[in-house]
Amino acid sequence: MTREIFISGEHQRRDGDAEPAPRRSSGAVRVGVPLSAVPLIVSCNGIQSALDPAGEEARQVATLFWVMTVGGLAIWAGVIALALYASRWKRGAITTEAAGRLIVWGGVVFPVTVLTALLAYALWLMPSLRPFGDQTQAGLRVEIVGSQFWWRVVYHRPDGSSIVSANEVRLPLGRRVEFSLTSSDMIHSFWIPALGGKMDLIPGRTNRLSLQPTKSGTYRGQCAEFCGRSHALMAFPVVVMQPGDFESWLAARASASPGVVESRSAETLFLRHGCGDCHRVDGTQARGTSGPDLSHVGSRLTIGASLMTNDAETMARFIAHSQSLKPGSLMPTYLDMPSADLDAISAWLKGLQ
Amino acid sequence: MSAAPPPDRDKVAEEAQLRTVWATPEGWRYWTSVNNTQVGLWYGSAAFAFMLFAGLLGLLIRAQLAVPENDLLSAETYNQVYTLHGTVMMFLFAVPIFEAVAIFLLPPMLGARELPFPRLGAFGFWSFLIGGVFVCGSIFFGAAPNSGWFMYPPLATSEQAGIGADIWLLGLSFIEVASLAAAVELIVGIMKCRAPGMRVNLMPLFAWYLLIVAGMILFAFPPLIAGDLLFEMQRMFDWPFFDPERGGDPLLWQHLFWIFGHPEVYIIFLPAIALLAMIVPTFAGRPIVGYSWIVLAAVGTGFLSFGLWVHHMFATGLPQISLAFFSAASGAVAIPTGVQIFVFIATMLAGRVIFSTPMLFAMGGLAIFVMGGLTGVMVALVPFDWQAHDSYFVVAHLHYVLIGGMLFPVFAGLYYYYPLINGKRMSDRVGRLAFWLMFTGFNIAFFPMHLTGLRGMPRRVYTYPADIGWDWLNLISTLGAAVLGIGMFAVVVDVTLNRRRQPRGEQNPWYAGTLEWISEPEENWGVRSIPRIESRYPLWDQENLAREVKSGAWYLADAREGRRETLVTSVLDAEPEQVLRVGGTSYVTIISAVTLGTVFVALTFKWWIVSLVAGLAFVAAVIWWLWTGTGEIPEKERKDIGRGVSLPLYASGVKSTGWWAMFITMTGDGTAFASLVFGYFFFWTIHQDFTGGVAGPGVYWPMAALSLFAAAWAATVGAREVNRRGGVGAARVLLVIGALASAAGCAAALAGPWTTGMDPTAHVYPAIVWVLVSWAAVHGAVGILMLLYCLARSLAGRLTRRHDMELHNVALYWHFVMVTALVTFGVVGLFPEAL
Amino acid sequence: MWRLLPKEVESLWTLFTAPVVWALHFLLSYVGAAVFCEKPGLLGEDFDNLRVAIGLITVLSLAVIGVSALLAWRQWGFGTGDPPHDDPTRRDRLLFQGYATLLLSGLSFVAVIFTALPALFITECLR
Repeated sequence: MTREIFISGEHQRRDGDAEPAPRRSSGAVRVGVPLSAVPLIVSCNGIQSALDPAGEEARQVATLFWVMTVGGLAIWAGVIALALYASRWKRGAITTEAAGRLIVWGGVVFPVTVLTALLAYALWLMPSLRPFGDQTQAGLRVEIVGSQFWWRVVYHRPDGSSIVSANEVRLPLGRRVEFSLTSSDMIHSFWIPALGGKMDLIPGRTNRLSLQPTKSGTYRGQCAEFCGRSHALMAFPVVVMQPGDFESWLAARASASPGVVESRSAETLFLRHGCGDCHRVDGTQARGTSGPDLSHVGSRLTIGASLMTNDAETMARFIAHSQSLKPGSLMPTYLDMPSADLDAISAWLKGLQ
Repeated sequence: MSAAPPPDRDKVAEEAQLRTVWATPEGWRYWTSVNNTQVGLWYGSAAFAFMLFAGLLGLLIRAQLAVPENDLLSAETYNQVYTLHGTVMMFLFAVPIFEAVAIFLLPPMLGARELPFPRLGAFGFWSFLIGGVFVCGSIFFGAAPNSGWFMYPPLATSEQAGIGADIWLLGLSFIEVASLAAAVELIVGIMKCRAPGMRVNLMPLFAWYLLIVAGMILFAFPPLIAGDLLFEMQRMFDWPFFDPERGGDPLLWQHLFWIFGHPEVYIIFLPAIALLAMIVPTFAGRPIVGYSWIVLAAVGTGFLSFGLWVHHMFATGLPQISLAFFSAASGAVAIPTGVQIFVFIATMLAGRVIFSTPMLFAMGGLAIFVMGGLTGVMVALVPFDWQAHDSYFVVAHLHYVLIGGMLFPVFAGLYYYYPLINGKRMSDRVGRLAFWLMFTGFNIAFFPMHLTGLRGMPRRVYTYPADIGWDWLNLISTLGAAVLGIGMFAVVVDVTLNRRRQPRGEQNPWYAGTLEWISEPEENWGVRSIPRIESRYPLWDQENLAREVKSGAWYLADAREGRRETLVTSVLDAEPEQVLRVGGTSYVTIISAVTLGTVFVALTFKWWIVSLVAGLAFVAAVIWWLWTGTGEIPEKERKDIGRGVSLPLYASGVKSTGWWAMFITMTGDGTAFASLVFGYFFFWTIHQDFTGGVAGPGVYWPMAALSLFAAAWAATVGAREVNRRGGVGAARVLLVIGALASAAGCAAALAGPWTTGMDPTAHVYPAIVWVLVSWAAVHGAVGILMLLYCLARSLAGRLTRRHDMELHNVALYWHFVMVTALVTFGVVGLFPEAL
Repeated sequence: MWRLLPKEVESLWTLFTAPVVWALHFLLSYVGAAVFCEKPGLLGEDFDNLRVAIGLITVLSLAVIGVSALLAWRQWGFGTGDPPHDDPTRRDRLLFQGYATLLLSGLSFVAVIFTALPALFITECLR
């Protein structure tokens, strides 16, 4: 592994943080210096890594992982060394009695002891990892609805108002947030490895998940339960912001984007091509709900549920070629749309900041 | 006991006679053979071929994931490929290969001529082959299942799943039937067909493991069959079992699937360890240390494996206390597994190990498996699993467990037991080369996946973006998979190598101590004569045993009556009880499998008429099979088996193998029924009002049905008793009464939901009620067939006062139906009233 | 007590007694907890009642397994006949059965305790 690859990897990490969100300063330093000699492939870092925790649950689980990994490797090495000794290296045979004692100590006493300790620790950890209800300090509740192959994200504020968004989750740093998870079609699973474990979205059921981000930055979440043809393309950026920034960001999303009025002709085109049947754009006649809410789509980091970076060009490409970019999604392909219309609509959507 | 000098008999004539009786048919009729040696080999070869096919699919998966944003395979193709890879490996290789090995090895290992139901074994093989080709072939038409080998609804019940889902459900249900047939065959074979003197404390460990595994199949596969039934009812007739809009719940499928799915892992793993339990003592040159510990491990694992299923559902939002129980059991199951491994290490320590090719594969498998076991303990802990679940960490874990715990031991077994096929050994040089290629290739492919998964890569994705840090890891995995593939290819070459010029090797090339090494590949009769066993390792401890057996000095050395015969012995002490005449060469097995296969294939394409006709043909074939091949009244009461022992040729009731087969089959049947009842109460648990406001079947009709079923049951038991006392005429009347009562009972069962107008497509409550009463009614209808069969046998003089095996078995069947009726009608009739 | 129970049970089933007790204990705990959490009020409101109930069936199960172990120990001659129990005699077969049953009782004992551990640590129907 060469230094170049490592650098390019680091470079791409920065690219991911396209939004001028707070930098993950400590992470960058930690990665940059001590691991610079270590090949990238064995690094544990990444915007979607459970071993690069930026949340309370992920941190505890990563610790549990390292403890178990070190212990597990030691046990593995011990067992294999013993087996090799027994089959290859030893000279004389031991007595049957001694062999019987080995079974008792190695096969019974040792595993029972280790397992009891591990199990007790994990069981003790379980309820504290995901406190719900009364123990939740934050008033923010985020509702996630999974659909093939995108996420509806609804922020329910303590005052009872709610803000609808899609395919991007923003969270306030240090606050515990409760997610309620449902699905409109198949079983999906909501997973932000950097913050914590996953939870399924099951039609007919409402599941809960509780996460507490501890490091600001941009991460990536992804659907973890196979949900159909484009299951691989159902991801989302996660932005952890300073609580103040988050509040003002959220407040800005409570009303229509100023970009709506930038181009009334584009808006008309948008409606004429039927986009409004499935998508909602606040401040227009577009009120559809079977597709992602586009009221502020221009300000999102990605489009197509983390499929591509967000600019007018990718927007146009997605509209024209959605089925080849995202096979099996409900979004129809607009190959025949005149390119002038396409450009106008894309530019207008990108302007919905 | 030292053997007496062989009596003066014409041994050459005796051998010729045995050879004729056990002859393998020639020409195209070769395929009508039912002998365990041929069926075992066919079974094994087919499973091996399916494995290679699924392996190629695995390589396709790796090729697609080698680089980010690859477009080698489309999303749809990839989903079909990965679904089929998992499905074929699990259902068409991992489980069947052990049915194959067991069918091939058990008779010589137990000192039997044959397993008790050779035709059932052959039927199982043909069913497996037809179902397997059907399922595998679908991918060449782009119609393979595409929803994952776990087939979760609502995806798999949706239209997106296409015909592939039906192929999966029906094709595999058919194969599950074959597995159950094998389980019956193996349990009865191990319990009742061991050589005299082979008490339970002297049984080869392979037999102990297989006994437990067959028992597990009996309790693990039926829940899946029940699940398949509900699933197919939803797909074909829109009964809403998994549709939350109408009271159903997709989680019910997950429960039923994993109640099967987790024990299945151990059903795969235990027989592989069983092979190691035969190989390790041979090469350590001493008996196993801790025989009882192995029994503990096998039985303990068998039980505990049924308490693990929810650990596949840790992220579904069940109450944490529920998750915790399964986490605890998942930890506990590591204990017997650890014991198993330490038994092998202890045996090696206490012996002098010869490091042969089979041992190389065994040790390599151990190294890989222990790693998989340790990551298994990690994912058993709920908090860690919330992260690791459905990520590549789990992909790594499961391949470490299955390839280390199953594939490597199977290859060890292949190199070890190959001489039993044709008396020749496989190449050590190729074997060692293949091992090192496989071992390094495997680790290069799968070790990085632990990290890939924890760096966030989910399973079952057909592509991934370039900038997340998964690219290099995936590329390395793909390279490793290629090396693994080359290693496997080397083994294939070694297996198929032409060895005609290689001289016939020794009879017992590894100087093993167990009985199977007595069997001669050139002969079809299993053992020339059936010895009395006095040791766990008779070839080490019983001097001259091989020579005596071969010279026909022991029991049942002849086949004077021209029939295929083997010994039946008692369960605990293996005292001889009966000479069992087993079925010979026949094409009825192929006809039965083809007709039943046609039923399933026709259902897939919704060709109702074809499937009905094929179903009737299947029933006719089975009746013909039973009529001509079972319950035959022998020409004499007893047969002299040599050394002054004479045994009866006929047994009925608990002494007959048929009774045991019925008992075991019905235990599996009862498990499937219990799964359906579980479904009923599952819906009750998750809803405030589980009836959804729909009127139930009432009390009157269910109770009427129960009374009629009870009458049919009483008539059947009465017929058995009266017949035994000589009242043949009265018994026939009772059989008719039983059939009539059962017919009326079936009608009354269906009348309940019918009269109250329960619409099974409206809500899940009527649907589950209909399923339960239909289940009871179908059992009643089969019961009618059985009663009429007994009547016909009696009228034809094939069922007499003394020879009443069929009546005993049918009465046993009716005991089970009676329990089914009690539960069904109690639940659907009385439970809603009690609320 | 020794008189009440036959000294040598001529059946393979005794081997499975302890694991069957584990299975019943597991099933009862799981079903009890599932119904308690899914149907609030049906089996009481207080989660501690559930924990106590699991504790009680645990004690009961351990007692039954203890009896099974004691009987097995006796069948094994109170540890006088050491393994390997591989003589072709009825006596060795009985000793083997006793010894194997004792081992399985031990495993089941541990497994029952493992299954009961959740009741110690989990204090509400979290999901």
